[in-house]
Formats: sequence, C-alpha cells, structure tokens
Amino acid sequence: MFRLLKTESFKLSNKLKSWLGPLLIMVLVLIAFPLSIDISQYDLEKFYFSIIVVSLLMTSFVATEGMFEEDFEDGSLEQEFLIEKDFYKLVLSKILVYVCLIGIPIAFIGALFSFANGVAIGSFAKVFLLLILSNLLLFNLFAFGNALSINKGAMLGVLSSLPLALPVIILLGRAIRSIQFGDGFSSIIALMFGLGLILSAMMPLIISAALKTHID
Amino acid sequence: MTLVSAQNITYSINENKLFHNLSFGVNAGEGLHIKGGNGSGKSTLLRIILGITTPTKGLIKRCSEDLKISYLGHKNAIKNYLTPIENLELLFNDVEIKIAYEWLYKFNLSHVQDELAASLSFGQQKKLALIRVLAQSPELIVLDEPFVGLDQTAADQLNHFLEEQLSEGVGLIFTSHINPKISCKVLDLEAKNV
Repeated sequence: MFRLLKTESFKLSNKLKSWLGPLLIMVLVLIAFPLSIDISQYDLEKFYFSIIVVSLLMTSFVATEGMFEEDFEDGSLEQEFLIEKDFYKLVLSKILVYVCLIGIPIAFIGALFSFANGVAIGSFAKVFLLLILSNLLLFNLFAFGNALSINKGAMLGVLSSLPLALPVIILLGRAIRSIQFGDGFSSIIALMFGLGLILSAMMPLIISAALKTHID
Repeated sequence: MTLVSAQNITYSINENKLFHNLSFGVNAGEGLHIKGGNGSGKSTLLRIILGITTPTKGLIKRCSEDLKISYLGHKNAIKNYLTPIENLELLFNDVEIKIAYEWLYKFNLSHVQDELAASLSFGQQKKLALIRVLAQSPELIVLDEPFVGLDQTAADQLNHFLEEQLSEGVGLIFTSHINPKISCKVLDLEAKNV
C-alpha cells in the first residue's frame, strides 16, 4: 500500500496539468464570478458559498477525469494486476492521493476565498473541514464514473455519475445552513465523515471490478 | 519443476473458437515460443496464462500462488512525462534499482537515462520496458512480440539475455513472428501442437 501511495503521489505531482488545472479553475471561478456581475457585498454574502459549492463540483469533476485513463492506455493497469491480483489498493491509493494533492488544496482555496471576500459563514476550520469531506465524497463518486467508461472517453463516465453527486450537494447545502444557524453542524459533519469512510472502503471494490472488466 | 501449466484451454469469441483444448506446461529454465498468424490468439493465450483474461474452458495451474511473473505486452507501461530512471524508480526499491541501472547500461540506454521517456525512440522505449521486465528478477518471463521495434544488435542482445535467464532457471513464454535464436519448445497455434 505504501509503495502505491508513493508511486501515485510521484506520478500525480509530475503531471502539472492534472493537479494545477483544477486548482486554477477553482481560483478563476471564485475570482471571476463576483467580478462579472454587479452585486453588493450584502448580496454576495447570500450566495457566495453556493458559488464555492458549484466550483467544488466542477473542479472535482475535472480533477478525476483522467484518473485511470492513462494507466489503462499505457498498460500500467495490466502490470499492476499482475503484482496485486486486483485493483483495490491501487484505486484506494489513487483516490487518497487525489484528495490529498488536489482535494485539500481546493478546499483550502474555497475556505480562503470565502474569508477573503468577507462572506465567511462560520469559522475557517469548519468551512475547510466541510469542503474536504465534500471532496472526499465527490472524488470517490467521480472515480467510479471514470472507471466505468475508461475506454470510451473518461469524461462520459464522469458525466454519467454526476447524478450521484446530487445528494452530496444537498448534504453540503444542509451543512451550510446548519453553520449559518449554529445548529446541528457536528451531526452533519459526522454523517459526511461516516459516508466518506463507507464510500472510501466500498467504492474501490466496485471500481476494481469495473477496471478488471475493462482489461479482460 | 513445472512453473505453469495449461489444461484443455478453450477460448471462444462470439461462438468462434480461437483455440480448442490446448494443453502445455513450462518448466523452470525452459522456454516456450507461441507461434501463429495474425488473429490466431497468441496475445490472448498469454493473457489467459497471466490470469488477465478468463478462458471459456480449461484451467491454468501455477506452481505457487506467489510465482513471480513479469510481463511485457503490446503496451510498454512507460510514463512519457518521466525519465527512464524515474520510470524504473516507480517499480523498484533501493536495492532492485541498482540491478535496473546495470540493465540500463547493458541495453545502452545510460546516455538517455535523464531525458524524458517521450523523447526516446520506439526501440529505446521498448528496451526500457524490457529492462522493467528483466530487472524484476522473475521466476517466469512472459513477453508478447519482444523483438518488434528492436534493431538487429538489440535483438541479438535480447536473445543473449533471454538465453542467460533460461540458464539461470527462469521460465520463458513468448510470442514472436520471427524465429528467435533461443532453444525452446514451440507451440504453433495454427498447427495446434507443441
């Protein structure tokens, strides 16, 4: 497992486009949107967090697009199958590395921008934690979509898994309201954390089976 | 010791039998050359031996679940955005990487070891992929058309290295259109005999 984590971190950190692209998109949307429409600070407070949520969805969508495609195309998946006999550890490592190298910076940017614009709805730590957990859920779901249609253009699969992300967005909305009203934040965070753990344990199993079908 | 054996392997695609009731075995230090024309199922048979593809019927037996197999298929598993050294470091630990460095020298790739793999020629990329296979110190080597893309010198070198591996007790299964200078059994998929 440690070998895979090390390998995947090394590979992703060497693919500038894969990790820098989503971060730049996040920054661009968060800067450009308030500038492109004439709104007062009061109005911005009302919906800036929604912009962060949509940016989060978009960037995790883009970030996971090529998660397995390259390894499938160049034959690395077959090599990994011979070593590990399945893809569970590989998928788990990939998702963890993507969350750490892309998801956490995205969450940090989101939290930072909400404060920089003076529209923070709660403490920095709360917003940051909320965005990290959302990314964990979204990356798992989009990785599944990516694995489904790996040989037919990964974007198609990611698109098809988009409806699965809607409950996460609804949950995120509930969490935002709970921060605003100072009520029930910890229970929603606990629910998201639990979901994150279950998805992180189960999704690699499903994705592993999908990848095996593709190389067969 | 038989490293891997195939028992009555049949593989069909859309009810067309690619091969039927194939049985063979490969012992330690023994080579098996799988011959056949285009579309005869050479690569599919290799993938069945490796467990990547499931046969329609039949069984593949290995001497041990932990049998160390290294494989090179049609795809090189080379990362173009990394250097040859970095590509090897992805797979090997600190001890194994020294063996890989020696193979880089043997295959005359030392002078390009710090260049991006994307800038290497097809033949050089093939050599790098072969180094990945050979430096793993495997018990069984499985190669799909290993001589494609290699110049005569490199092909002769590969023949020599594979002979060396056989003499060290490593098993070898490979497909090739050309007749290699390696003493081994031949499985002709069109004649359906070993």
